[in-house]
Amino acid sequence: MARTLAMFTDISLCIGCRACQVACKQWNELPMEDPEWTGTYQNHAHFTDKTYRLVRFIEKPQADGRLQWDLMSDVCKHCAQAGCLEACPTGAIYRTEYGTVNINQDMCNGCRYCVSSCPFGVVAFNHDTGRASKCTFCNDRIHNGLGPACAKACPTESIQFGFRDELVAKAKKRVETLKGMGFRGANLYGADSNEFLGGLNAFFLLLDKPGTYNLPDKPKLPQRNVFVDSLLSVGSAVLVGLGAIVAFRERGEGKGGGGNA
Amino acid sequence: MLKTPDWGMMIVFYFFLGGIAGGSYFTAAIADNFGSAKDRPVIRIGYWLSLPLVLICGILLIADLGVPARFLNMLFMFKFWDPMSIGAWMVGVFGLFSFLSCVLSLSSSEAMVTLRRKVSLVGTLAGFFLASYTGVLLSATALPFWSEARLMGALFLASGASTGMAAISLLLFLSGGSAGEGWGKVKRADRYSMVIELVILALFLGLLGSAAAPIIQGQFAPLFWGGLVVVGLVIPLALDFVGSKAKALSAVAAVLVLFGGFILRYVLLMSIQA
Amino acid sequence: MTTNLIDIQHSDVIMATSNMAENHPVGFQWVMKAKERGAKLIHVDPRFTRTSAVADVHVPLRSGTNIAFFGGLINYAIQKNLYFKDYVVHYTNASFLIDPAFKTPTDLNGLFTGLEQTGKGGPDPHVAERYNQGSWKYQLDAEGNPKRDLTLRDPNSVFQLLRRHYSRYTPEMVERVCGIPKQKFIEAAQLFCGTSGPEKTGSITYALNLTQHTNGVQNIRALCMLQLLLGNVGRPGGGVVALRGHANVQGATDLAVLYQDLPGYMAMPFRDRHPTFKDYLETETPKSGFWVNKPKFFVSLLKAWYGDAATKENDFGYDWLPKRASADAYSHQHIFVDMYKGKIKGFLLIGQNPAVGGPNAKLAREALGKLDWLVVKDIFLTEAAEFWKAPASPPHREAADPKSIKTEVFFLPAAPAAEKDGSLTNTMRLIQWHEKAVDPPGDVRSDAEFVYQIGKRLKKLYAGSKAKRDQGILALTWEYGDKEPDMLQVLKEMNGFALKDITDKDGKVVYKKGDPLSTFVHLTDDGSTCSGIWIYTGVTVNDAEGKLVNRAALRKKADEKDYLAHGWGFAWPANRRILYNRSAADPSGKPWSEKKKLIWWDAEAPGASPDKKGKWVGMDVPDFNAFLAPEAKGGDNAYIMRADGKGAFFGPLADGPFPEHYEPIESPTKNLLSKQQNNPVAKIWQVPDHRNDLAGVGSPDYPYVITTYRLTEHHLSGVMSRYLPMLAELFESHFAEISHELAAELGITNGDMVTVSTPRGKIHAKAMVTNRFKPFIINGKKTHQIGVPWHWGYNGIAKGDITNDLSATVGDPTVYIQETKAFLCNVKKGVV
Repeated sequence: MARTLAMFTDISLCIGCRACQVACKQWNELPMEDPEWTGTYQNHAHFTDKTYRLVRFIEKPQADGRLQWDLMSDVCKHCAQAGCLEACPTGAIYRTEYGTVNINQDMCNGCRYCVSSCPFGVVAFNHDTGRASKCTFCNDRIHNGLGPACAKACPTESIQFGFRDELVAKAKKRVETLKGMGFRGANLYGADSNEFLGGLNAFFLLLDKPGTYNLPDKPKLPQRNVFVDSLLSVGSAVLVGLGAIVAFRERGEGKGGGGNA
Repeated sequence: MLKTPDWGMMIVFYFFLGGIAGGSYFTAAIADNFGSAKDRPVIRIGYWLSLPLVLICGILLIADLGVPARFLNMLFMFKFWDPMSIGAWMVGVFGLFSFLSCVLSLSSSEAMVTLRRKVSLVGTLAGFFLASYTGVLLSATALPFWSEARLMGALFLASGASTGMAAISLLLFLSGGSAGEGWGKVKRADRYSMVIELVILALFLGLLGSAAAPIIQGQFAPLFWGGLVVVGLVIPLALDFVGSKAKALSAVAAVLVLFGGFILRYVLLMSIQA
Repeated sequence: MTTNLIDIQHSDVIMATSNMAENHPVGFQWVMKAKERGAKLIHVDPRFTRTSAVADVHVPLRSGTNIAFFGGLINYAIQKNLYFKDYVVHYTNASFLIDPAFKTPTDLNGLFTGLEQTGKGGPDPHVAERYNQGSWKYQLDAEGNPKRDLTLRDPNSVFQLLRRHYSRYTPEMVERVCGIPKQKFIEAAQLFCGTSGPEKTGSITYALNLTQHTNGVQNIRALCMLQLLLGNVGRPGGGVVALRGHANVQGATDLAVLYQDLPGYMAMPFRDRHPTFKDYLETETPKSGFWVNKPKFFVSLLKAWYGDAATKENDFGYDWLPKRASADAYSHQHIFVDMYKGKIKGFLLIGQNPAVGGPNAKLAREALGKLDWLVVKDIFLTEAAEFWKAPASPPHREAADPKSIKTEVFFLPAAPAAEKDGSLTNTMRLIQWHEKAVDPPGDVRSDAEFVYQIGKRLKKLYAGSKAKRDQGILALTWEYGDKEPDMLQVLKEMNGFALKDITDKDGKVVYKKGDPLSTFVHLTDDGSTCSGIWIYTGVTVNDAEGKLVNRAALRKKADEKDYLAHGWGFAWPANRRILYNRSAADPSGKPWSEKKKLIWWDAEAPGASPDKKGKWVGMDVPDFNAFLAPEAKGGDNAYIMRADGKGAFFGPLADGPFPEHYEPIESPTKNLLSKQQNNPVAKIWQVPDHRNDLAGVGSPDYPYVITTYRLTEHHLSGVMSRYLPMLAELFESHFAEISHELAAELGITNGDMVTVSTPRGKIHAKAMVTNRFKPFIINGKKTHQIGVPWHWGYNGIAKGDITNDLSATVGDPTVYIQETKAFLCNVKKGVV
């Protein structure tokens, strides 16, 4: 297993220019879509099958009269414990040797279970190709010594690419610097492997609580309840089975049925 | 923010017919192993109903895929923690058991009968699985309401039982076999299943609390309360108690149970995908 | 810009008056780097934009009140003694004494001394007034040198006049006029004026937020004066950050695409002022300052154009140059008004889309319909190319009726940058060469090939003609290749080369015939050199082996030793990255501080000749004679392009030597600074058929201030963005940004269609109701402002109404730029 790669999106440096959003589309040759009116500069409310990097614009008037306009370039989190990967029945969704999560378009059969299994609503279904798709972490680029297109295009280096451990160390320092500059809400989302989902390989520096950016506070692996749910189903089966046995059992003839069929 | 999988009517029917297939099969299997010769019509109908249904289920699943030609890709994996993965396998496994039980039921030789009973007993597990796993599948997603519904699989299983048994009894009635003893037993089993289903439904709603809003309030509430609870469970139970005298009423009850089972799947799937 | 984008990282405070993050995002990375080093960012803008989102302080100001704001800062710095006194005394004309007859608007209620009625009509009889600048001059001593008071106390000193002039611009006045709450203004003033002094520097950015006004030039002057006052110009992390709006607009103005210049910012001759070559050189060459060399630049230019045909005997072909009839003519707006009046027969429209991008765009489209012929050369079928079949936009715009339009329209597809060799000169004067990546498809041709071929065919057409007006074309040197011109050859000619062997005074051959010149200092006025543009000299040079080096193509990155990256491209002039850098050192030649050192005098370094010692050294090319000692005569002249060598507080222009606040031509309020409502010499065109009606002051029919602007995602009139799917999809539709408060008043919710109207036209757009606009309190009265981006048109993938149908044909008196940043409008819910 090679060293884990990561993308670190530091939103304190983001100017919302959307070079990342366009560079991603261009590199992946994604076709144009009909944009949505969101009431802001944002052209889609959420990720689509043809928009893998989405810049979010969130206006938040503050109590002291200031306006906070959060500009955030959102992307697939490439979770260390990925709901989409666990859900995929064909193995089309796999983890590369770099720790990134990719959907093999030659294998996906379009069951769409992954679409509903992402705690962040990233994976989308492409009605034209019949397959699920999402950010590939520029799989072709990282296997040729390059970083993702979004990181390359970002003019302020808000999106950084590199080895995860190095980026996490850098990010931690950056949080301290920002706190020193007065950004008391600065925090890392997904950098800590112990916090949730084993850590995110595309992690963020946020300036406010995750909810501000429509991110879940403590995202969980959707498959965590399968065992309990299955046990409860077994319980139901036992009850139903017993009921049926009681209904069909011949009095006085014992079990095992009798007579000829 | 989150995305639904856009599973439409094909999947609603798959859930519904899969429940009946599993339910009718394990009813037949239990009758086969614990019942008597008089239950033969029930057993026969149960096995033979499950086979075409599981075939239709397979076709529905394949047709719903984005790339149907690649359905066999699901056999590349076996992730026991993933309902979708095991489910893909178990549809086939169950189909196999259904086929075997059907074929074996053509013979009346004692060796075949004994084999059949053993095979069906094992196949019962596959039948339970088919009827219930789709509920576990829904609750293993990230979508609110589905992901909070711990008893969805249990509920689907009870519904598979009630609809499977209702289907058997309806077919028995239509083929003139309602005079036999098997009719009464399958009806009794069906009543037990419906009561269990109502209890599980109550627990299901209780555990969900306000998270159940998509089905108990809003545009799907009339279908849920009216279509499933009243028309699909309470009224048929009432009719059934009366109908021990009037078999036609009992048959109507069976139709209502089937209707309720369909509504259950429809409401649970569509209420958050509208 | 006087400095360099990379250098911005060294600013202590950056005041962005333009929307830099959105419109110069790549350059903005240096602002972010400055912030990481602890710098503070102030953003001054009527809107809260993506620049404001990362700024420490957002200062909201009503569009059109920039001089009130800068004047307020100047007043604040003077009153609070926050100006850099040593810098001001030694490097500016603050100490110079002015003719006592000169009075400022403080005394003359909004006017400077000398406003006259012209009375004589001229090209446009409606220019009723102009300034007689007779008293706008220095007092001179017996030798003819300007008198100075280095204590800055003389009441006629520029400094005291400046103080008196801006004494009206108090924080209270700024609040009433600009709508900036007093506390916010003082916060910004303390922060920015705190950069004055040896240890700190601050930079100010501007773009069209300052230029597109009827006092556009004075807006910029005010910014420059503030920077001089605080001692920021020419120092690391300081300067005037002018942000140009296209990849090559700097190149365009350098090469004099504009009507009033010759390449290298020499004046385009006038018929009356410069009838002969001798008149031109005498009138245009000052007695001191670096422009004393103008004859060398001018003759070399003529030799570049006319080659051997330009001789001493025929004044180097001076008579072949076209001459202007008037200063008040030939600008974009002049052209379109004349076109509308039917005075122009044919038009070559290359890479521009006035049907969308010009002010009063409806007038522009109608004007195009009055031409006999129109040639459009562009990369897509623009709105201008198809003005004759513009679709309807009901209910306010009928479809164009091709049957009633007699213009013959030619469309020639143009090659974009990737399909041709060439260079781009960006906002930091950096010339960067690029090579053709792919051949243009089909009939697509580069603009250079087009112009080159036209020249060739004209020469053929006029061959043998004896008519005087044809001689210039016939005399042009015009051999750059077969079909497509060799752009490197063109660049070499722009750089300049020796036309014969040139020897130094010892007879040693310094340049062989044909060698590129390495510096404009080597240009001559005797016809032995040619140079297409003197400020670019040095971009192509010969290396030690005599091989041509195209410095614009060099790509050596910055490192610790050379943070300004002198090995990357070539910055004019002379690869100097920070202009006026003499002022980075004190009068004795030492850096003002260790922290802010840039260049300094090294007395021990080898001098100009073996027997001399002393040289200016440091991190950039010195912006003056590198061997001139600091204490020598002229050794403290940091502004060598000016005759007196000093930065100008007092700088006579058509509308005054000091910037004075006047309201935009369409304004919601009377001028609170004086009785003079508008710039007295602003240009207001009279256009027939009510095509240029203007709203009155505080008009109840047009009660809201409107500003127009650009977005990161789109480019100008949208030709380079709305036709590209990946960019067209970034905005769902054309929109108008309005405040929650105004939306509530008009019953508008986010996403509703609205109608925005002015006396010139009407558009429909979606309302984007946002917290980023807030009403202003102007002179105690709530005044709403809205904003509308102007990228949309009726062609392309992303279509929308044309915002510039709303703007008017009014202009700044010096350059005639339009006032699209501040005018009045009305807004109504729905499509009406």
